[in-house]
Amino acid sequence: MMFRGLLLAFACLISQGLFAQTQADEPVALVETITGHIFAKVSENLEEYKAEPGKLEALVRDELLPLLDIKYSARLILGRAGRGLAPEKVDEFATVMSNLLVSRYSSGLLEFSSKVDIRVLPQRGELNEKITRVRTRVTIADGREAPVDYAFRKTPDGWKAFDVIIEGISYVTTYRNQIMPEVQASGIDSVIERIGSGQLEIAE
Amino acid sequence: MSTRLYFICVICVGLLLTGCAGTQSRNTDPENDPWEGYNRKVYAFNEGMDKVVRPVAVGYDRIMPDPLQTGVGNFFRNLDAPITFINQVLQGKLKQGGTTAGRFLLNSTLGLLGFIDVASKMGISYYNEDLGQTLAVWGYEDSRYMMLPFLGPSTFRDGPARIVDNYYSPVGSVIGGNVRWGLFLVRGIDTRARYLDQDAELEQAYDPYVLMRDVWLQNRQYQIYDGDPPLQDYDLYLEDFDEEPDTGAGNTP
Repeated sequence: MMFRGLLLAFACLISQGLFAQTQADEPVALVETITGHIFAKVSENLEEYKAEPGKLEALVRDELLPLLDIKYSARLILGRAGRGLAPEKVDEFATVMSNLLVSRYSSGLLEFSSKVDIRVLPQRGELNEKITRVRTRVTIADGREAPVDYAFRKTPDGWKAFDVIIEGISYVTTYRNQIMPEVQASGIDSVIERIGSGQLEIAE
Repeated sequence: MSTRLYFICVICVGLLLTGCAGTQSRNTDPENDPWEGYNRKVYAFNEGMDKVVRPVAVGYDRIMPDPLQTGVGNFFRNLDAPITFINQVLQGKLKQGGTTAGRFLLNSTLGLLGFIDVASKMGISYYNEDLGQTLAVWGYEDSRYMMLPFLGPSTFRDGPARIVDNYYSPVGSVIGGNVRWGLFLVRGIDTRARYLDQDAELEQAYDPYVLMRDVWLQNRQYQIYDGDPPLQDYDLYLEDFDEEPDTGAGNTP
């Protein structure tokens, strides 16, 4: 009897351990950890970051970029304009786009004058083998919340985010419709140069 | 707003624009925006109007202290509550409709005619519905994009629906005469002032018209689905990328 109880307890322990492990890799947990960390740092050092935005960009780059599949986003944005491009060009484009994203994400965070907060909503539907969405709510002025969602896909390196959707407006879709025709008209190099020099900043 | 007058304006602008020479034939989104040529003309017309409206909005933004501007925004938002309520009922969202009714009563009284959003401070949810959204929920989901003179982005479904909404809004039905016109004017300026921050971004875009359309259509979808629209079909985007053109190199059978 006692043996059976022990076995049961052991089994519970194992399954809990396994459960915890799978959970930690899941998109919701990933977003919770990473954004939680970034937001806590911003709340803590807001004045410092306002004086030196470069520091915040470095933080966002270190924390957020490992979560993103920037090459996949780049391919989605380029669409048919990316057909036949050298893979290095696509990579280069992915890099300038991710720089743009990091800088916009950082300046967005700094626009909050006081305390920033984020709420990650529990997983709901859509968690399948390939693609899922994590919903978060960012507290903005006077108690109101802005919905910021992340689209994730499963890669060989685990779940990676490839799109950010703010109030229904998708980063990938919006940039795609601007950039795809421009690449077709004036070429990838000119687009990379323009984005790299900070001339193209599309509102979200 | 006086609906008849607006219709006359729309028809006049429409005639004016169709008269313009040099039709642009490019079509960046045939599915959602088959009337792009016409829409671009109205967009250009609105941009011209904006040369007058924008300076007024900038002045308003400078003069008005921020708390007062928030108050004005709250006031107009509260006036829309009856529109939201009726459309919540039409969509069968009765519980949410109750919340909206309660919010309207609270803000109109304790909130001093809506200037103070006491309901939000008490944690009462805010919803936003209109006839366009109701029609979408009823099955009229896809509607072509339509740029309205003066009013900006809309769809073939939402434009007329907006006019119907105005009939039973407090501004359209209860308040009359010069006060109504005054309110309409202030609301227009206040709304424009809220978008001032985005002007620079729009200007820098490769194609400002497309940016405004994409942002508006996506956000509209988000409203229709009450903040939870389905994800884009990303696979479709990727197919575009992956479909290698047949170079024929080393492929001779």
